[in-house]
Amino acid sequence: MSTIDTLRGRIDAATESDNPLMALVRPPYVLLLPLAILLLVMFVGPMLAIVMFSVQPANSISLNPTVWTFEHYAEIIGGMASGQGVYGDVLVNTAAVSAVTTVATLVFSYPAAYALARKIDRYKTVFLLVLIIPLFTSVNIRVFGWALFLVKNGVLDSVVSLFGVSNYPTMMYQRWTIILGTTYVYMPFMLFPIYLSLLSVEDETIAAARDLGATRWTLFRKIILPLSKPGVIIGSLFVFILSLGADVEAQILGGGSIFTMASNINYSFGYSQNWPLGSAQAVGLLIITLVCGVIILRTINLKEIASRGDA
Amino acid sequence: MSVESRGLIDRLGAGAWYGYVALVALFFLTPLFSLVIASFYDGRFFSIVDYEFSLGWYEAALASGSIRSAFMNTVRISVPVTILSTIIGTGGAIAYTRYEFPWQERFKLLALLPIFFPLILLGLGMSMWASVLGLGYGIVPSIIGELVWISPIVMFVVSITALGIDPNVEEAARDLGADTITMYRRVTLPLIKDGVVSGAIFAFVLSWNNYYIVSYLSGAQSTITTWIHGRMTQGFTPVVPAVASLIFYVSLLLVVAAFIVEFREESG
Repeated sequence: MSTIDTLRGRIDAATESDNPLMALVRPPYVLLLPLAILLLVMFVGPMLAIVMFSVQPANSISLNPTVWTFEHYAEIIGGMASGQGVYGDVLVNTAAVSAVTTVATLVFSYPAAYALARKIDRYKTVFLLVLIIPLFTSVNIRVFGWALFLVKNGVLDSVVSLFGVSNYPTMMYQRWTIILGTTYVYMPFMLFPIYLSLLSVEDETIAAARDLGATRWTLFRKIILPLSKPGVIIGSLFVFILSLGADVEAQILGGGSIFTMASNINYSFGYSQNWPLGSAQAVGLLIITLVCGVIILRTINLKEIASRGDA
Repeated sequence: MSVESRGLIDRLGAGAWYGYVALVALFFLTPLFSLVIASFYDGRFFSIVDYEFSLGWYEAALASGSIRSAFMNTVRISVPVTILSTIIGTGGAIAYTRYEFPWQERFKLLALLPIFFPLILLGLGMSMWASVLGLGYGIVPSIIGELVWISPIVMFVVSITALGIDPNVEEAARDLGADTITMYRRVTLPLIKDGVVSGAIFAFVLSWNNYYIVSYLSGAQSTITTWIHGRMTQGFTPVVPAVASLIFYVSLLLVVAAFIVEFREESG
């Protein structure tokens, strides 16, 4: 640190200690306060509201701190444990959707991310653009597009009828249709972290391994895979927590007949008007999200992403 | 192995990588193509053999009063969200990347965490919280709600650009006598301009397309995405694909614009 820096630091420290309130209107505090206040009031507050409402008696619409009950948790956990009724189905559907979606996005994204990072030069910007555009299109519009594609007398139907194929079983309103929807919606969240991590593999590393006699398989297993591990972890956590929140996919592609955790939460809120019951279901989602989110953010290094973006 | 066959194998290999990425791209575009095809089709059921092209559903969409008011509500939410989230997110990004302060990593954790939350969780929490605070439902609560998710995304985008600046440039500006305001106006902001512009465009597109947060906070006011959702789940009409396509075209144009801003240097 230069002398000037040290002196400036001391002057700053002196001014701050003179009047802590004045320090707040100087950078960086004046710059970060709007965001910090917004999030404390409108992000931390709402998450606390979920937790607080989850212990209120059924159908409460205001918070009463003196009355609390665990009846909703008992109902949900009891239903999930017995495997019967709507909560048993919800547990199975949600676990199946999230797990299969995570595996499917990983399997399909990895080769694409590898190709984009290392094999493709021409039209790369066009490919990246095509992969980014769905991220910025409303989730219900994309899911609706899939419904138009898959539904009887839809786009797929009219294409296969050209080949004389008809009378195949319907493809809508099944668990795998929901999984197709979630795989589609959340695949960019797997593809881009892996892509960014593969960009960091240097050509020299690969050339050196080749010179030392590594086969393609060894090269992949010993060098490329370990170096892309952060991307795979971030992408998997990301896809897992986001597909736990899949509501529109279940509503449109599941046709209201297959409930996931998110669509059941939405149902408790919207149709049954039972905020505490919906909140109790949401608390599980909240805890998983919080844990995964913190792991993701501790793994992400913004400086590294910034330097790879130039590559 | 001869040189020619080696070259052939390499070219086939490269072709396979291109082919795979093209397939993935096709998968990404399938629902969007389906939407656009359906929006131009004059009838209830598709048929490639006797496809009848029509602009009728677009005319119907533009003529409908309820759709027009949903568009207006969407604009009334998106424009303030874009302006405010760009200011708030850019402030956060400059603070985080250009300064050192206590609790810096905790600030980053709080500031970026909403990006990783399923939107249904944010929406329903805010809905209850709005009732507890007496904030109510409508355009203003929707704006505040979307800011919670979009400002962190702007901060993320701007931070990536801001981390690319050499700190010595700002140091030099200070040494040459620039006060804080002058330094931002003449040095820092011009250097992160591209990040701020693409952050602002992304903010608009994300707000324009937001469904979950507005569906919980907008109350009786319908936006384009909640209107589409209502028509999809109850009372479908063939005008829905045209409305959905219109909102997609706007997003498409803006995302391409943001991409050009971000990648200008590389191609230029």
